[in-house]
Amino acid sequence: MKKVLIIGGGGGGLILANHLDTNEFDVTIVDKSDLHFYQPWFLYIAFKGSQRKISRPIGELVRPGVNFVKDEITEINLDERKAYGSRKVVYNYDYIAIATGTSPDPDSIPGLRQIYDEYGDYHSSVYNSQKLWSHVKNFKGGTIAIGQSSPTCKCPPSLLEGAFLLEERLRGMGMSVGTSDPVSPSNVNDPAKTGTKGKSRIVFFTPFPRAYSAEPMNRVVEPMVKERGIEVMPFFDVDTIDGQNKTINSLEGESLKYDLPIIVPPCKGPKIKFIPETVQDEDRFIKADKNHMKIPGYDDAFAIGDCNTLPTSKTGVTAHLEAMTVSELIQGKYSEFNGRINCPFDTAYGKATFVIADYNNPVVPYPPTATKHFMKMSMARIYWMTLMGTADPIFEQFFKFTTPEKLNKKYASVE
Amino acid sequence: MDAGVKIIDSRGAACPGPITDLARAYRNSKVGDIFEMWATDKGVKADTQAWATKTGNEILESREDPDKIVIRIKINKR
Ligand SMILES: Cc1cc2nc3c(=O)[nH]c(=O)nc-3n(C[C@H](O)[C@H](O)[C@H](O)COP(=O)(O)OP(=O)(O)OC[C@H]3O[C@@H](n4cnc5c(N)ncnc54)[C@H](O)[C@@H]3O)c2cc1C
Repeated sequence: MKKVLIIGGGGGGLILANHLDTNEFDVTIVDKSDLHFYQPWFLYIAFKGSQRKISRPIGELVRPGVNFVKDEITEINLDERKAYGSRKVVYNYDYIAIATGTSPDPDSIPGLRQIYDEYGDYHSSVYNSQKLWSHVKNFKGGTIAIGQSSPTCKCPPSLLEGAFLLEERLRGMGMSVGTSDPVSPSNVNDPAKTGTKGKSRIVFFTPFPRAYSAEPMNRVVEPMVKERGIEVMPFFDVDTIDGQNKTINSLEGESLKYDLPIIVPPCKGPKIKFIPETVQDEDRFIKADKNHMKIPGYDDAFAIGDCNTLPTSKTGVTAHLEAMTVSELIQGKYSEFNGRINCPFDTAYGKATFVIADYNNPVVPYPPTATKHFMKMSMARIYWMTLMGTADPIFEQFFKFTTPEKLNKKYASVE
Repeated sequence: MDAGVKIIDSRGAACPGPITDLARAYRNSKVGDIFEMWATDKGVKADTQAWATKTGNEILESREDPDKIVIRIKINKR
């Protein structure tokens, strides 16, 4: 039996493992953690104080016949088809799929480590999200600087989702948001609008030219950003942070003062030594071709999900679709990944949209609705089924009816 | 291809888009470097122009080949 070794039991690794025929292949997942986390929920821990349990043991998420080993891989030799674990354990393989996600790197920006340890963030872990929530819920007023500290980040919409959910939370706490918050006679009895509990500013900084990086979606969300009093600092790529003077400085030469910093750390590829080392880029992401996720020069090695260099968003849905393609390729069928993205985007106050595009079709200017919010919330429940493969028919139908070509015809043309 | 020109291949990238790769390359650049960006996203021309104005760098050339948009950028400020 051919051995398939999968490094990482996140979305990409589990979906691949659960779609391989274990009568034909000897499938092993190695993960350094024995828990799998539903990362999109970090947002609701950090900004709503949610206490929902969002992890499950990886061993319970694999189909019968798939092996799970808890170990940290430190070295992979692609020429010798060997991976090395932490206790000098050697794993041999016929096929390898690397699905190690990203790792936060707060030490690559001067001053960020201190902020990361003190305030947490809403991208890295349950612990960090809980830490941030303790600061958000006790916030007494002033300026909150919120954004990503490097252009490469998981789930592009999640950055602005954070700002939207924060605004909803602050108003819910009775604070005003923004410098020109209108206190008109019609809302004088509404504590959220009068700001009786304090005044706040939310400044969303981003390395991109606008609030949302992809322009068609920005057209949809920018009016909401303005209406809610969220200020935007575009082309603000974090260079250094001065914790003493509470200032963030950008590579482009601007400064931003804060009272509460909410800074998503840069993310990098896995801390694994590769032979040959040329398969990793300068941020340790693993090079792979954009349709088959093959590591250049190797027919038996794939990189799937957040850890690769594909020119698409780092999201669970892309990891899922890439894993499906790789499972077909390993099983001798032809398959191609078309770059499809489908990122749910919570715009707060009970509405959401999706960022949909692929390699050949630009992002759809898709308007937020309550139904899409309901779908995003339902995903949190059916997520575990998607990992096991039992929700595949629902997904196939959804993707068929929401191709970016179809949706762009409907939504891009109305403008 | 000229020596010392860094190719930034962003073909296919729609979201977050080519500016991601440009900003990453800018972080590791020095004065005098030349980038050649390849992209398919239509918004790339306006976005790189806005980026160059903001950062004080220079667009040397911007053209549309049949299969891609090519933009050459000179780093004047770091
Ligand atoms: C706030 C937030 C909101 C998000 N919202 C959405 C959303 O709404 N929709 C969506 O599709 N996506 C969303 N995402 C993105 C999504 O969570 C990720 O893209 C997805 O988890 C990527 O899957 P992956 O398998 O590539 O990596 P991961 O799920 O991160 O898994 C990587 C695994 O590899 C293991 N590992 C790492 N290094 C090693 C090693 N050396 N040895 C052994 N094991 C190792 C890790 O322990 C981990 O279990 C969101 C992310 C965040 C942070």
